Amino acid sequence: MAHQAHAYHMVDPSPWPLTGAVAALLVTSGTAIWFHFNSTILMTLGTMLLLLTMYQWWRDIIREGTFQGHHTPPVQKGLRYGMILFITSEVFFFLGFFWAFYHSSLAPTPDLGGCWPPAGITTLDPFEVPLLNTAVLLASGVTVTWAHHSIMEGDRKPAIQSLALTILLGFYFTFLQGLEYFEAPFTIADGVYGSTFFVATGFHGLHVIIGSTFLAVCLLRQIQYHFTSEHHFGFEAAAWYWHFVDVVWLFLYISIYWWGS
Amino acid sequence: MKGVLMYLKVFSFPPACILNKMSIDRVVSTDVKMAEDIQAKLEKYRTAPFDARFPNQNQTRNCWSNYLDYHRCQKALDAKGVDTAPCDWYKRVYKSLCPISWIQKWDDQREEGTFPGKI
Repeated sequence: MAHQAHAYHMVDPSPWPLTGAVAALLVTSGTAIWFHFNSTILMTLGTMLLLLTMYQWWRDIIREGTFQGHHTPPVQKGLRYGMILFITSEVFFFLGFFWAFYHSSLAPTPDLGGCWPPAGITTLDPFEVPLLNTAVLLASGVTVTWAHHSIMEGDRKPAIQSLALTILLGFYFTFLQGLEYFEAPFTIADGVYGSTFFVATGFHGLHVIIGSTFLAVCLLRQIQYHFTSEHHFGFEAAAWYWHFVDVVWLFLYISIYWWGS
Repeated sequence: MKGVLMYLKVFSFPPACILNKMSIDRVVSTDVKMAEDIQAKLEKYRTAPFDARFPNQNQTRNCWSNYLDYHRCQKALDAKGVDTAPCDWYKRVYKSLCPISWIQKWDDQREEGTFPGKI
């Protein structure tokens, strides 16, 4: 009966990295096929495979950590580094879109009328729905912190309630943004204003959806007693991600909605 | 007359050369003297002089600014029913600086009513 003489996790062979790579190939090439040959089969197949991979891979991680005890303190430290590095890479991702926005808005070209917002663009009032959205996300930051403290205190019911409230606030934000997108007087095709606005806020919205999903998984796990008051890294990772999403929104709000109006 | 002086104060104008000649403080200047000064300037014109507002290699803003200023000057002086000769300075500058295709594009846009600049 062999035991490891170290605290690290030597992961068992797994097919999910391969299926993930194949999914990435199918999604990207499938999207190109869709653009040029009007066929969505490859892209759809790739997306299905991607979703399956994510579900099964992360399910395996939960099994290894929560049920099999492989997530010792050094292993958890590695997971923390990983999540921080991932979020850092996402920060750089958004930095690019902010660069694009400032490039075009600080020195508006003659084609725009030499002004920002460009001639002919009616911007959204930053003190209407966008301000409400800001309040919603800030409140969700409070509720997720409340959830964290509840988990650490071992308060099961408040943890479930505050986590559920956080997710509801996330849905409310997404719903409000959806309405704004529908009602907006300009589209993504409306010059560089439309492009910068919808690409930046669009990717942000996608991250809100991803973050809400991550939190929802945590809610299910909390209900099923996965988290202890000492060990709940999945939740912490979700909370970090959620705070990151909130901070990106604050920058978006100040730059694009307020200064840019 | 006073209107033209007021206009000169308000609109962006090549700072050094014309203002020195124009001497806004000297209300004694008559229309004739000013017209002569402008004529002198225009006759001596070779190309757009250095404009400290646009010191760098990219002169797009210089072209755009003078194109706008010419048409704003035209519009303002026409509205007052005054001789639009002072506006010709801006015309000379933008004609010197701007690519012909830009001028044509902007002229067409003004015809159509789709010109994005504020005139």
